Amino acid sequence: MDERLRETLSAMMDDEADELSVRRLLSHQEQTDVRDQWQRWQQIRDLMHDHHGPGDGVDVAAAVRENLDGRDQTAPATPAAPPLKAWGWPWSVAAMVMLAMVVGFGAGTGWESSEGADGQLVAHQPDVPASALPVSMEELSLQGLDEEQLKQMRQFMLEHAQHSSVGAGRGSVGYARVVSANSGY
Amino acid sequence: MTPENERKSAEQTDSQTDLQLVRKVRSGDRAAFDLLVVKYQSRVASIISRYVYDNQEVMDLTQETFVKAFRAIDRFRGDSAFYTWLYRIAVNTAKNFLEARNRRPQGSADASDAENFDDGGRLRDLASPERLLQREQLQKALSTAIAGLPEELRSAFLLREYDGLSYEDIARILECPIGTVRSRIFRARDAVDRQLGPLLNHSAT
Repeated sequence: MDERLRETLSAMMDDEADELSVRRLLSHQEQTDVRDQWQRWQQIRDLMHDHHGPGDGVDVAAAVRENLDGRDQTAPATPAAPPLKAWGWPWSVAAMVMLAMVVGFGAGTGWESSEGADGQLVAHQPDVPASALPVSMEELSLQGLDEEQLKQMRQFMLEHAQHSSVGAGRGSVGYARVVSANSGY
Repeated sequence: MTPENERKSAEQTDSQTDLQLVRKVRSGDRAAFDLLVVKYQSRVASIISRYVYDNQEVMDLTQETFVKAFRAIDRFRGDSAFYTWLYRIAVNTAKNFLEARNRRPQGSADASDAENFDDGGRLRDLASPERLLQREQLQKALSTAIAGLPEELRSAFLLREYDGLSYEDIARILECPIGTVRSRIFRARDAVDRQLGPLLNHSAT
């Protein structure tokens, strides 16, 4: 750990380090050095202020780390993002694609979904409760499609994805117009 | 300045660093949580030792407190200082531990006492003679190290540690740039660490 980082760590001890410096420090590869230095300075501070604890000299951090590493699944490794922000754009696009598939096949080929068929292709998002999904997605399943229909669907999805990526969403809007026109609105 | 004020000065002004570290923990940075644990492990153990007298149990509960804190960190809203929030978890962890064993709390420490908590008295009673001797040696070494600092480093360091002044205030008092204050405090810390380091590595504070 170079002098500058150690000075940043010292400033952190005093609540005087800026966010960028803290980020730089925490991204330093040798975090063991950072932690050891931090620990010694904390011990000196405790000594200066006469803080003594039964755990003096014991590295609780190591035990905590081991405990948490053994149960990473419960760790808040990713921030809890606000639901609307996290789902808003992807779901709007996904819903449009699904709607396109339902209407496209329903109107274009006379296809209707039937439950219980083998080889079903089900719209699936395991991390999201069903109640949080739009109704059309909650119930949607593409079953019993023949080869030609599957090919047509893949082609459609590809084209739609291309339009969306190139037009930054205008592909979806364009399709919505088509749907509106077909449904007579 | 009274000892109580001295204690409070260095503790109550450091919430910004804690918040920075909490933000990093929330974004998945485990190293940031390590720093919080290292910073507060001694004080959390002290809080718990007000309820539980067995050292091994104190250490287990201290560990449990931090594990709980880590898992609940998304629920820390920043309404209070991180230390106050952690203090509440420690107190509840200790109380739950005693209740689970049908034992009445042996001590008391309300969450509202977090900022004023004085851990020195009872813990000194718990310390072994050997440990007390080690601490005495450390205190002497610390005094010697501080006394041996150049005046400009010592002034800045003590104004920060004992009076809890911000770098800006210290800069005004010492009539020098803030960057100089920052550098002097760092160099003072570094010098003290170099003298005490070997002792700290082999004994407890």
